[in-house]
Amino acid sequence: MLAHALNVLLSGVFHAAILFLVAAGLQLVFGVQRIFNLACGSFYALGAYFGVSTVTVLTGAGLPRPLFIVALVAGGIAVAAVGPVVERLLRFVYDRDETFQLLLTFAVVLMMEDILRIVWGTAPTSTGGLYLIYGQVRALGVTVPVYNLIVIAAGIAIALLMGYMLARTRFGRIIRAAAENREMSEALGVNMRVVYVKVFTLGTMLGTLGGALVIPSTAAMSEMGIDLIVEAFAVVVIGGLGSMRGALAGALVVGVLRAVAISTWPELEMLLIYLIVIAVLVFRPRGLFGAAAA
Amino acid sequence: MILQARDIRKLYGEFCALDGVSVGVNAGEFVSIIGPNGAGKSTLINVLTGILEPTAGRVFFKGRDITGIGPVRLARLGMARSFQLVSIFPELTVLEVLQVAVVSRLRRGARLFASLARDREVAEQALEVAELFLLADKRTVPARQLPQGDKKLLDVASAFALQPEVILLDEPTSGVSTRDKTKVMEILVSASRRIGIKAIIQVEHDMDIVFGYSDRIIALHEGRVLADSTPGEIRANEDVVNMVIGRKGRKRSTC
Amino acid sequence: MKARIAVAAFALAVLAVPQLGRDYYSILMLSFFAYATVLLGLNLLFGYGGLLSFGHALFIGIGAYAAAVLTGKLGVLHMEAILLVAVAASVLVAAPVGALCVRYVKIYFGMLTLAFGMLFYSFLLKFYHLTGGDEGMRVLRPTLLGFDLSATPKVQFLIGPYYYYSAAVLAVAAFVMWRIVASPFGLCLKSIRENPTKAESLGISVNRYRWYAFVISAAYGGVGGALLGPTTGQVDPNLAYWTHSGNLVFMTLLGGFTHFFGPVLGAFVFIYLQDAVMSVVSYWRLVFGAILAVLVIFVPGGLVGLVTGRGVRPGIKAMRESPR
Repeated sequence: MLAHALNVLLSGVFHAAILFLVAAGLQLVFGVQRIFNLACGSFYALGAYFGVSTVTVLTGAGLPRPLFIVALVAGGIAVAAVGPVVERLLRFVYDRDETFQLLLTFAVVLMMEDILRIVWGTAPTSTGGLYLIYGQVRALGVTVPVYNLIVIAAGIAIALLMGYMLARTRFGRIIRAAAENREMSEALGVNMRVVYVKVFTLGTMLGTLGGALVIPSTAAMSEMGIDLIVEAFAVVVIGGLGSMRGALAGALVVGVLRAVAISTWPELEMLLIYLIVIAVLVFRPRGLFGAAAA
Repeated sequence: MILQARDIRKLYGEFCALDGVSVGVNAGEFVSIIGPNGAGKSTLINVLTGILEPTAGRVFFKGRDITGIGPVRLARLGMARSFQLVSIFPELTVLEVLQVAVVSRLRRGARLFASLARDREVAEQALEVAELFLLADKRTVPARQLPQGDKKLLDVASAFALQPEVILLDEPTSGVSTRDKTKVMEILVSASRRIGIKAIIQVEHDMDIVFGYSDRIIALHEGRVLADSTPGEIRANEDVVNMVIGRKGRKRSTC
Repeated sequence: MKARIAVAAFALAVLAVPQLGRDYYSILMLSFFAYATVLLGLNLLFGYGGLLSFGHALFIGIGAYAAAVLTGKLGVLHMEAILLVAVAASVLVAAPVGALCVRYVKIYFGMLTLAFGMLFYSFLLKFYHLTGGDEGMRVLRPTLLGFDLSATPKVQFLIGPYYYYSAAVLAVAAFVMWRIVASPFGLCLKSIRENPTKAESLGISVNRYRWYAFVISAAYGGVGGALLGPTTGQVDPNLAYWTHSGNLVFMTLLGGFTHFFGPVLGAFVFIYLQDAVMSVVSYWRLVFGAILAVLVIFVPGGLVGLVTGRGVRPGIKAMRESPR
């Protein structure tokens, strides 16, 4: 009984770690640029596919298999290079109504869907047996792949890193200032254009990294991007738009709840999440940690 | 008293915007509210028009408590306002803007299948208001293409088109050139007479306009009513004169 | 005047299509009829009301599954009954959902509608005992105006009686929407889009009117969904997926949301262009994504905007003001 609960919890936390990464990217971009980037799911998918390719290529070229995770992470980070490209596109609509910004990110979603298909085909691709290469841990009747624990640890580490960056570094201060008051930051000499590129790229990187890290546990599939965006969306609504802590809290809520739902009543899976999203939007639109004004 | 505010207090956190303000307006009066920026005029207007809920105090319109009831219900009860910053419907033509007000007043907004173009009553009344405000020749012009002064007039005209009993004008001549100010005021006064508006309240900075048209002047200073009397008495009031000229007043204390 | 001639010409062309003998294109028109109906409703909400819904496909799903349930499970084959139930079901769902959603604007409205759309999608997908899951449900051939046409071969049915029936439904729907848009209500809705604060100060209940627009647009979505059902004979949960809602908005933007017939044009171009692209390469999303990007950046007024010479609508900029 306890073992089962722990299994569910751990699988939920693993999923939450991935969700956190994608949501953090979403929050960063929304907080500073006020754009809800529908394409974050596409970046996630891109990171997944590229991660698989990187691992395949590098292990084929002689990288020892236990080091595959390095290749994965490297691939995930490298492909964030699409970030500045997409940002350049979005730059056209910075001064326009939200509606158009949202629609432009939707255009990116559409294009990315096919780009992924063109480059990687439609069959699911995976890293094969590398998932369990680090073995599994058995404790308290629970069996969990070490890989999952690594990812969870990575998620925590990145969360701490993000927190530190936002609170202590100059760049973090600029981000917080820009999120709070764009005009004043500009007036104080901050080069917003550069900040936007950096923020967007960082946001993209978090998404691609999330996609890369999830790969060993599942296969890269063509719908993974557009499926994930709704989960990420649920995370930021529950956590609160624009808040990093919200991304973490929201990810945990969604990740664990989903795991619980799958193990108790599978039909409920996402249904429960959407009901909660609606409830949050109705009773507490700012979510757990969001800003007060809607 | 057709409009009455009793002991209005409005706090924004620590800051006291209005500190026990009581004002009243009788039918047939033209009342001007004056005061420097930050005196609380906008806050008072928003409380009087039911948009802002005061921290304490109540507002009565025709004997009815309208504190914080919101603009929609207020308009239905017979009070309208215009805005300090020009607030328009950019894509609607002059006539359409006025038609919106008329449709709202005639409660025909929920008519989903009736033809607006064939509604003669709406068309005639909208046109009449347009003529009163000398906008009739521009009636097919989209609001965003109007010169600034006409936009202001349209904003005011749409409030008039509601045929309110009391109208509140927030700086009706701001942005209007000095030469045209009198013209605007004359339009306002004659339109009020035509429509049968019972009381006009305005917030105004231009003292010539204020003294030229008001039956009564209320001077607001640092959230309190400094004076509330006829133009002659106000002119003789040293405190008000100092305030208008801008000599330093007492330090603002908390409520 | 020019618009009327164009519409009349288009109507004549529509009536003539089945006679041209290219059955494939006639069947494609059936999708057009359905989507044009949906978009007429969506544009009431978006173009005239200023609200962008990312969950409108919800109502297409309701209409389509209504057709499936009625014909497949309950044995009710009258198309008129199907349309009626589609409208009723859509309105029944839209009333509470809309009442909730219209209290929020801009991004929160979009998020709420997306959530509701996906909620329905999840339901359709997971509760396979009721809904057939990802395989969906079958839609049996309905009777049109009481006539049982089950003896007619499928293609003949679709390009013949069903074609003209669908066209007639679209015509009626367009006529009704035209009246709505030209009514006092239509004007009030436009004023709400332009400046909700000022509209309120003129005594207009912003939320109530938005709600009316929402419910009406939902009814249109249901009708469109019901029309889609018999075309393929199959309905599946993807009809309610969020990208389907996104495509609806795309179509609206493509045609141009500033003009009454813009969305209709958008539906037409989208469907035929998609077909044309797919016959060359299966990567229609890439092409369409690029088209959408170009539209958003350079031609936000859509095709109609290009024709009338009005690209960016300042009215939409007016929507940038207060979130509430």
